[in-house]
Amino acid sequence: MNIIRSFLAIALSLFLGFTNSLPALAFCGFYVAKADTKLYNQASQVAIARANDRTILTMANDYQGEAKDFALVVPVPTVLKKEQVKVVNAAIMERLDAFSAPRLVEYFDENPCEPIRRLESFDLDRPSAAAAPIASNRARDKAQGVTVEEQFNVGEYDIVILSAKESGGLESWLQDNGYQIPKGAKDLLNPYIRQKLKFFVAKVNLEKFETSGFTKLRPIQIAYESPRFMLPIRLGMVNAQQAQDLIVYILSPKGRAEVTNYRTVRIPSDVNIPEFVKGEFSGFYKSMFNTSYDRENRNVAFLEYAWNMGNCDPCSADPLNPDELKQAGVFWLEQPIGNNQPQSFWRGRRPQMSSNVFITRLHVRYTRDKFPEDLMFQDTNNQENFQGRYVMQHPYLNETNCDAGKQYRAGLPKRFDQEAQTLSKLTGWKIEDIRKKLPTVNLADVSWYDRFRAYVR
Amino acid sequence: MRTPIDARLYQIGFLASFLLLGFITRDWQLHPEVVLTAIVAALTTQYLCLKISKCIKISKPLLVPVTKGDLGGSTRDLTELTKSDFYSPMITALGLSVLLRVDHSWAMAFAATIAILSKFLLQFNQKHIFNPANFGIICAILFTHEAWVSPGQWGESMWYVVMFLICGGLVLRKVGRWDTTIAFLSFYFAMEAVRNVYLGWTWDVWSHRMMSGSLIMFSFFMITDPRTIPNAKPARIIWTFTIALITFILRNYFFMTTAVFFALFLAAPLTILLDWIFKDDRFDWFNLSSATTPEIKSV
Repeated sequence: MNIIRSFLAIALSLFLGFTNSLPALAFCGFYVAKADTKLYNQASQVAIARANDRTILTMANDYQGEAKDFALVVPVPTVLKKEQVKVVNAAIMERLDAFSAPRLVEYFDENPCEPIRRLESFDLDRPSAAAAPIASNRARDKAQGVTVEEQFNVGEYDIVILSAKESGGLESWLQDNGYQIPKGAKDLLNPYIRQKLKFFVAKVNLEKFETSGFTKLRPIQIAYESPRFMLPIRLGMVNAQQAQDLIVYILSPKGRAEVTNYRTVRIPSDVNIPEFVKGEFSGFYKSMFNTSYDRENRNVAFLEYAWNMGNCDPCSADPLNPDELKQAGVFWLEQPIGNNQPQSFWRGRRPQMSSNVFITRLHVRYTRDKFPEDLMFQDTNNQENFQGRYVMQHPYLNETNCDAGKQYRAGLPKRFDQEAQTLSKLTGWKIEDIRKKLPTVNLADVSWYDRFRAYVR
Repeated sequence: MRTPIDARLYQIGFLASFLLLGFITRDWQLHPEVVLTAIVAALTTQYLCLKISKCIKISKPLLVPVTKGDLGGSTRDLTELTKSDFYSPMITALGLSVLLRVDHSWAMAFAATIAILSKFLLQFNQKHIFNPANFGIICAILFTHEAWVSPGQWGESMWYVVMFLICGGLVLRKVGRWDTTIAFLSFYFAMEAVRNVYLGWTWDVWSHRMMSGSLIMFSFFMITDPRTIPNAKPARIIWTFTIALITFILRNYFFMTTAVFFALFLAAPLTILLDWIFKDDRFDWFNLSSATTPEIKSV
């Protein structure tokens, strides 16, 4: 049995080799900046908290126009009663956004001649959610084939739950009642009607809105139980001339969630980029996302963050506390495991807490031609962490006269160039333009041989 | 006389290249240690089961490879294990690695072990009932709460479909079971097309639904396992229709992402009934009937 024995021996040693070569946990850098949803024009944000078939879905609402013109039509799997609909604070979407946004981190090289205490830099941008396009409305009426299953008022919204027999009747009803649905929407309503979905229709109750004291429309949160785990994006594509951005935060007790009918791809992450990007991080991320989007043929969903919500490393925002998690829709919350003392997350140290809430941040840029189907999701037990993390390594450019200092400086041009190449590859920016912005290194006192050695190493 | 190549080696080659390709290009997040676990577990279980069945000395050994070398066909007992005894478990292990995702390696070990065990323990009339990889996937999903299938991992790149077609076709022509693939895809595509028309979607929705890599992978590599599908041709047609129907129902009315695997699992016992109704010769890897197939000698 020599074949078998030798095979098993090789397999075992390979196996052990792989497991032993897992990287040790490393400090993930000081947080600098984040790329949140305000980068994108008209990015919709949706939070889905789901455990088994129970779902709480929160739709952020940053409608910029007149409140009287606002209307929302969403296919939902079941009839919703008043108790199942809530209005929540807009801040909660900002918190989810800030917590999960791709982040820029920095490290500082020590003086190669003598160790110096690390400088710390904390630079935060407070995000705000971006606008989403909404249709307009007028007065109400009645239409045929349409049943008003429920009708109630929640916060500043008047809500109707409809079921329809056919799309023509539904379209008439909506138009008669002042919901201006775009041309072509009628054809899109039919598949949802045939799948026995109901329609959640909301508009603003102006009196309540004026007395509410809020200036912006708040997110709507709905709770239902259904085996369907999907987002009906097709309905939103009717009149879209350009690509629309959608950020979905999926909160689950099990682990990572993914899209099942389109490929889910991780955005490029854990790359070293030049120092000057610090001032241009938003532009960098937008370009990088556009490049990845085109490279993947514009038909994938991008994973930007997947992490246990009890901790972060580095943190772009404080982890959400239990109260905030409940606001976001988490209904299965237990006591967090481990150390309950709040720690100073800004120091970038790994906190002790872990909870049974896992967040997945998916960024989908969709167009009609590449996304014919509504998004379908599944939750998995995948507990692997992932984050969009871009690393700046600040070189030590002060005087270094020792040998180690000379060698260090000799190695810098090559390192800068590599970072520049990475940047160019990720964003599509011209390498010549990038090179102009790189710092210059004084190599006058470094011997030609040291320079050569550093280059070929 | 030239030694002909066992058709299963082609399948191993293709599965291994899909795995490698997926690993490199498609962002599947495959882990080498999980793949190795599958291979080691499958091969070890096969080895142990073969040894045990030899020790028990059953008059007709559980897995009977038939030789057709220059000495003519004859059943051989398992006094010696050879390389070819490990081709099928290798296919199972690679199939599991491609299709099943786990959070920890032990779940993959469980899937691979139970897949191979099912071949030896769950038999009827000396034919194992369940496709081993399929059984492993179902058990891992049901019993470990650690395993899942990612239907979206492949994307809809036409190139992959073509690749599958070529590779699958090559293997299938070698084993003469093209009919199950064509039958399954035809039935299933037709059902989905009818549903598409009923719902009122445009045709690109239908074609997008059909471009599921898992579906194609399943129809070329899993539903064609000649050792677990009905022996007779009319039986296979009925059987594939049943699987297509169950898949359609599970996917569209129960919203299961693993519909196609559960469909095969549920339809497997039907094989017994169909084999009893439509009698035909059982398939063996060493006795391929296609004229274009090279003769195979036990290695």
